[in-house]
Amino acid sequence: MEYQKPTINKVDFRLASKYGSPLKEQRIKGEIDGVPVKELVEKFGSPLFVFSQRELEEKYREYKTAFSSRYPNVQFWWSYKTNYLDAICKIFHKLGSKAEVVSEFEYQKARRLGVEGRDIIFNGPYKPKHILRQALQEGAMIHIDHFYEINDIEDVARELGLKEVGVAIRCNMNTGVYPQWSRFGFNIENGEAYEAVKRLYKGGILKLVGLHAHIGTFMLSSSAYRVEVEKLMRLKNWSENQFGVEVEYIDIGGGFASRNRLKGVYQPPEVIVPSPDEYAEAVTGAIYDNYQGKLPKLYLETGRALVDEAGYLLTSVFATKRLPDGKKGYVVDAGVNLLYTAFWYNFELFLDKRYEGLNEPSQVNGPLCMNIDVIAENVMLPPLERGTIMTIWPVGAYNYPQSMQFIQYRPRVVLIDTNGTPHLSREADDLNYVVEKEVVPDYLK
Amino acid sequence: MVEMVIDENNIGYIPSLGTSFQLNETAKEIILMLKQGKSKDEIVEELAKKYNKDWREVFIDVTDFMEKLKIYGVIQ
Repeated sequence: MEYQKPTINKVDFRLASKYGSPLKEQRIKGEIDGVPVKELVEKFGSPLFVFSQRELEEKYREYKTAFSSRYPNVQFWWSYKTNYLDAICKIFHKLGSKAEVVSEFEYQKARRLGVEGRDIIFNGPYKPKHILRQALQEGAMIHIDHFYEINDIEDVARELGLKEVGVAIRCNMNTGVYPQWSRFGFNIENGEAYEAVKRLYKGGILKLVGLHAHIGTFMLSSSAYRVEVEKLMRLKNWSENQFGVEVEYIDIGGGFASRNRLKGVYQPPEVIVPSPDEYAEAVTGAIYDNYQGKLPKLYLETGRALVDEAGYLLTSVFATKRLPDGKKGYVVDAGVNLLYTAFWYNFELFLDKRYEGLNEPSQVNGPLCMNIDVIAENVMLPPLERGTIMTIWPVGAYNYPQSMQFIQYRPRVVLIDTNGTPHLSREADDLNYVVEKEVVPDYLK
Repeated sequence: MVEMVIDENNIGYIPSLGTSFQLNETAKEIILMLKQGKSKDEIVEELAKKYNKDWREVFIDVTDFMEKLKIYGVIQ
């Protein structure tokens, strides 16, 4: 008989159900796209972000098909903030996505990757004049967030000698969901968006070519998009009638949900997350029901729904302890420094193989010397050995770009291509990288 | 003194409390040794020897297990 880590669990008949026993179920993922997680960790280290190109492409095609099969002129714009690793952006650009950026840094990153200015949508509430100047010179499409930005664009356009500049305005609105995103762009219900269109034409330089809105994130209601499109189409029709122009496109932003588990939501993602077809039906149906004249182009800035499920974080058990409340505590080598979204989502945790012993209530903590460093507060796990590899999923959206060099160095990132070959796509941080920009004042030397 | 009775399916029962527990093989061995009055150090040594394991690793497991016995009120 082999040694087993000793386990004892109180028999609790409340745990018995027709769905099976939480004491014996183990979720196992030994490989990603055919590459064993053990091999990945041995070759690239732990923790390790892993992205699957296969999954990225499948998701993109799924969404592209859902929309393009219903509507004639659809363009996806890759949302850089969701994941701006070069390799990820390159894949989406090769698939046909253009770039949607929200800052000077993201704009420059897209240009560095060879994206032409005319293939960039520039969103965001903060666009200083110097980057506006570059964006206008290079033909990027500016989505205006506030009245000051209208002034700034007019000033820059005059400086550059531009006679007419096509722009879009950003709109916010009530779509029947909570929380309402009201801080970006101009409000529809109180008439501010209509005022903004009037203001554009009053200046004599700017011309409305598009309307944009981003109604929220992880939107579990496809009908909210129907409301959004109806309101944008109403504004489009009004603008066209009022100023005799053609508003070429509507941009419905992002926010489609992935199969992640939002904290506080009882039902599983399989039940509550709308399919690409449901989103597409709501959006395109609302355009068809409300258009006058020419059909507008449809722009989408889908980020999370395309990349989240393609991202994994491999982490290794470093130590275990018994917490005073009886839970088993695990210390793993990846923490909230790498998983910013752990504050909102209950990720799936997979084990690298089956472990002997019954599951017990456990808590998984990262390596930070911070009490908030909790990856999973209540999860049923069998007794795990030091070195056990856990796969945390889905983590492809908003985690890498928001990961921090805080206490620990950020790890490597690997991309597995469609043939199942892993490639290093970002090196880990090291001391030189972290301190490179620091300057010790002379008087302290 | 540990009053747990363990059956052939590794279900432990404490008559005075009316509570039942699921155990694995090593857990059962430890309970039996505790019932024989063996100390923690003796249990660690015996298990390490029997399974040819590093005693320091076994020490962590046995410490953890006994903490849980305390939480369940099986030992004081």
